[in-house]
Amino acid sequence: MLHVELVLQGLVNGSMYAVIAVGLTLVYGLLRILHVAHAGLFTLGAYITVLITNATGSLPLAVAVSAVTVGVAGMLVYRLLYEPLLDRPPYVALIASIGLFICMEEGYRIVFGPYGNSFDTMQLTERINIGPIGMAAADAAMLVGAVVLLTGLGLLMKRTRFGVAWRATVTDPAMARAFGIDTVKVRYVNFFIASALAAAAGALVAVLNNLVEPTMGSVPSYKSLAIIVLGGLGNVGGTLAAALLLGVIEAYGTIYAGSFLDRDAIAFVFLIAVLMVRPQGLFATGRP
Amino acid sequence: MLAVDGLTCGYGRVLAVRDLSFEARPGEALAILGPNGAGKSSTLMAVAGQVAVSAGTIRFDGEDVTTLSPMARCARGIALAPEGRRLFRDLTVRENLIVGGYVRPARDTHAAMERVLDLFPRLKERLDNLAGSLSGGEQQMTAIGRAMMAAPRLLLIDEVSLGLMPKNVDICYEALDALRRAGLTIVLVEQSLERVLAMADRVIVLESGRLAWAGTAAEARGNPEVVRAYMGGAAV
Repeated sequence: MLHVELVLQGLVNGSMYAVIAVGLTLVYGLLRILHVAHAGLFTLGAYITVLITNATGSLPLAVAVSAVTVGVAGMLVYRLLYEPLLDRPPYVALIASIGLFICMEEGYRIVFGPYGNSFDTMQLTERINIGPIGMAAADAAMLVGAVVLLTGLGLLMKRTRFGVAWRATVTDPAMARAFGIDTVKVRYVNFFIASALAAAAGALVAVLNNLVEPTMGSVPSYKSLAIIVLGGLGNVGGTLAAALLLGVIEAYGTIYAGSFLDRDAIAFVFLIAVLMVRPQGLFATGRP
Repeated sequence: MLAVDGLTCGYGRVLAVRDLSFEARPGEALAILGPNGAGKSSTLMAVAGQVAVSAGTIRFDGEDVTTLSPMARCARGIALAPEGRRLFRDLTVRENLIVGGYVRPARDTHAAMERVLDLFPRLKERLDNLAGSLSGGEQQMTAIGRAMMAAPRLLLIDEVSLGLMPKNVDICYEALDALRRAGLTIVLVEQSLERVLAMADRVIVLESGRLAWAGTAAEARGNPEVVRAYMGGAAV
C-alpha cells in the first residue's frame, strides 16, 4: 500500500513537472533557447489564478483567464526579448532570460508583497477514495489536469495540419518556410501554448499548496531545466517520461533518503548520476 | 515559363553564379550540367528563393519573382526537391507530404497525396514510417512527392540519382518522365550524364558559375565542349 501511495504521490509531483517542462522543451525544440523565464510565467499564472478566484469565486474561470493572459505574456516575451536576439549566440538569450526571470520575481515581490497570497477559501479540499486508495482532490486535479493538457497537446501536434507544420518547423525551419509554413506564426503559437501550460501548472500548484509567493518559480525553474536535459533536449516524449520518473524518485527518496537528503537534493543527485552514465540524457533523439 | 537574366548569386562574399542567363519553356525538361562547384545547385536554390540574388532577375510566367520569399514562389508554382533531399526526418512520409501541400488548401491534400502515391506506389506501405528510416530511393521518392504536393508548374530537382541504386534511379526517372509528359516543366541538376541526356530536351553547362554551353540534348551528346566541361575529356 505504501508503494502505491508513493507512486501516486510521485506521479502527482511528476505531472506538475511535466506540464512546466514540456512547455520549456517546446521552446527549446523550436528556438534552441533555454527559456529560464518560463518559471516566472508559471508564478504569474499562479498569482492570477488566486486573485481572480478570490475576486469572482470561480476557480475554473480563474484558470482559464490565467492561461490566456500568461499565454499572451509569453508571446510578448518572445517578441520583445528573444526575437531581437535570434541571430546572437544562444548564451545571449539565456542571460537575457535569467535577467527577465529575476526581474519578474522582484516585480511580484513589489506588486504582491513578499509574504505570499492564498485563496480566501481553500480550493479542492475534499478527499477522493477509489477503492482502498484515497487522495486529496487537489492531487487528483493535478493528475487529471496534466493528463488532459498533455493529451490535448499531443493530439494537436500529431493529428492536426498545424501540428505537423509545427514539427516540420522544429526539424528544418528553412525548408518548412519554403513549403509555405508561416514559421513566425508557429513561434508565437508555440510561446502561447508553452506559457499557457506554465500558467496551468502554476494554478494547480497554487491550489495544491494554497500559497503563491514571488519565489515559487525558483525550484521548478532549475528542476524543469534538469528534466529537459534528462529527457533529451527538445524531446517532448522524453521530457514527459523524465518528469514522471523524477517525481516518483523524489517520492521514494523522501521516505528512504529523506533523513539525510532534502527532496530537491534527491532530484539533483539523480540528475548527476544519470548524466554521468548518459551525458546526452535518458531519451536523447540525436539532435542537440 | 522561367526566364533567368544576368543572375549573380552566392554565399556572403563568395559568388557561386555570375551573370547567368537561361530559360525553361513550358513542358520541357532542362538539364543543368557542370563539374562540382560550377554553381548548378546554387542556381536552383536562387530560383527557389533559398539563396539571395546579388544581381539579375528571375521571371516566372512573366512575373518578376527575384525578391519574393520561397513561400511566395511555392504558392506561384515553383517547387524544389533539394540536394540531399532535406526531408523532415522526424516526421512520417504522410506528414512530409502534408507539409509539401501546406501552401494549398487543406481540402486538396487528400487528392494531391493520391496522385503522389499513384506516381510512387511504393510509398503507400511507407506512409506511416519516419522519413529518417527510409532507404535512399524511398527518400528521393518522398522528396519528389513532397514537392509535387504543392501542385507546381515548375519542378526544380537537384541530384536525382545521387547515392541511389539503379533500380530506384529508374523509378525516379520514370516518374519525372511521366510528369513531364503531363505538362510539368522540370529543371534538373544531375551527375549521371547518360540519364539526364536521355530525358532532357535542352541542356546548359556551367563552368565556374558562368554559362559555358547551351543547346539541345541531342547536340550535347558527344559534343567536345560539353564533354570537356562535364567529364574532363571522357566520351559521352
